[in-house]
Amino acid sequence: MKRKKIAPKILAGLSFLVYFFLWAPVIVIIIFSFSANRYGVSWDGFTMKWYADLVQNAAVKDALIRSTIIALVTVVVSTLIGTLTAYGLFKLHFKGKHFLRTSTLLPIVMPEVVTGAALLVFFTRFLNLPLGYPSIIIAHIVFSTPLAVFVILGRMQRIDWAWEEAAMDLGANRFRTFTRVIGPQLMPAIMAAAVLIFPWSFDDFVITYFVAGIGSTTLPIYVYSQMRFGATPIINTIGTLFVAVTIGALFLSRAIEKKNAGR
Amino acid sequence: METIKNATSPQSDLVVKNKKKFNVEVPLYMGPISFLLVGFVFAPLLIILFFSFLKTGLYGEIVYEFTMGNIKEILTGGSGIVFLNSFYLAVQTTILCLLLGYPLAYYIARYGGKWKVLLISMIVVPSWVAYLIRLYAFKTITGTNGIINNFLMDWGLISEPLTMLYTPGVVMVGLVYTWLPFMVLPLHAAMEGMEPSLLEAATDLGAHPVRRFFRITLPLSRGGAIAGSILVFIPTMGDWLVPALLGGSKVMMVGNLVAQKFTIAGNIPSGSSLAIMLAATLILILYLAIKWGGKEAMEKLV
Repeated sequence: MKRKKIAPKILAGLSFLVYFFLWAPVIVIIIFSFSANRYGVSWDGFTMKWYADLVQNAAVKDALIRSTIIALVTVVVSTLIGTLTAYGLFKLHFKGKHFLRTSTLLPIVMPEVVTGAALLVFFTRFLNLPLGYPSIIIAHIVFSTPLAVFVILGRMQRIDWAWEEAAMDLGANRFRTFTRVIGPQLMPAIMAAAVLIFPWSFDDFVITYFVAGIGSTTLPIYVYSQMRFGATPIINTIGTLFVAVTIGALFLSRAIEKKNAGR
Repeated sequence: METIKNATSPQSDLVVKNKKKFNVEVPLYMGPISFLLVGFVFAPLLIILFFSFLKTGLYGEIVYEFTMGNIKEILTGGSGIVFLNSFYLAVQTTILCLLLGYPLAYYIARYGGKWKVLLISMIVVPSWVAYLIRLYAFKTITGTNGIINNFLMDWGLISEPLTMLYTPGVVMVGLVYTWLPFMVLPLHAAMEGMEPSLLEAATDLGAHPVRRFFRITLPLSRGGAIAGSILVFIPTMGDWLVPALLGGSKVMMVGNLVAQKFTIAGNIPSGSSLAIMLAATLILILYLAIKWGGKEAMEKLV
């Protein structure tokens, strides 16, 4: 009978180790962003110096603004397309629906290097699109929209569709019904998709690396360029910023979800 | 014409509540996504498919002549080995993720109690932080002058720093680290749905915990395990950043080769054929896995 009590403890121990494994790098980044060590690789006492440097750094500011603009545009466009698509997939019946649904998964399944490389060649050799904002934003919309589609599609199953029928019985066409009745009901799901996509776009390095071209440095690309010069504490401070943005977004999405569930 | 077509076409789905036939609605709702997929997913893939059959000139320029040389090079030459190596690393990573993911998912599902949501979030949160940043931290931890080495030397356990960074071992650890959450979540979802009374019944009937695991938990969580394996295997096989940052130039995976051909070497035809082969391999594996794993795995995926 004793074995029964030992098993959960072993499991708990193993789980703790896995959690430690998952969190150690994040914690190291945060702790070392406050370390006085010149290379940011060990603990030499507390300092806020690197954050002061960060605020002063014009290149970082530039990259931060660029990343934010890209992420905001991506969020707006991909949640818009995502909402329309999810609604269409849920409600409409048409030829090729299954194919379209499967194809929507393609950008998620495709390795990032393949997507990035294919888009790079497509932009430079076929469309002659200048690399920079347009190419980065299009690429981000490509990999973010499927996420929006599936997040919103998932929540659609919990909506009370009787409202829609009522509106349509009263003479509203489907589009009007959508903007007036379903849209507002879907708002929490759309917001949840938006707060998930923001860090998704803000953090992306691999695809952006291919399509950014010269001079359009986003924050992750800036970090990568700094990493090539070796260890500097600035990466830790930017990393902490990333952690804050991501955790903030996740908490926001949970709060939205909770509010939604409460109704 | 439209009416007749609609009236005669059998409705496959029974949930249809469409009273009115559709006309402009399909293009209205599905137009944007179709444009996006055709214009910026299919077209780029077709372009690199086209380029993968072209020759490369002396200076890396594209020569518009048909060749099978790029494909042949992958199947017979050095890139083939890189493909196999990536496949091998991805298989190893998937197995390690299964081994680590099972106890964790089982623990959360069975003993999580009121902490379940927190325990799950604790897995999700780090995985959402830019992995470029987390891999940088990995370098800080495993480097010659890194945390592990400093710690071991301070305690006098070793006299010289261990070489961890830029070895296949650390690449694998990095891959497991990066993709493990994608294994735990579907596994947990599968185990959550399990009837606890089944385990109790097995215990009452005298089943050993190990036997209980293999006869009940494992078969019932099969869908989750397959879904998790797909979610880990596919991004691992196509990963670039982990081998690039943690492997240096010592560990090559297909992703590195693709990135190298496109950016540094500027050999677009050769890079294109590699990218196409990688994408095709992964889609084939995904297709086989779903076919073999059946619908339950697919449902867990989407």
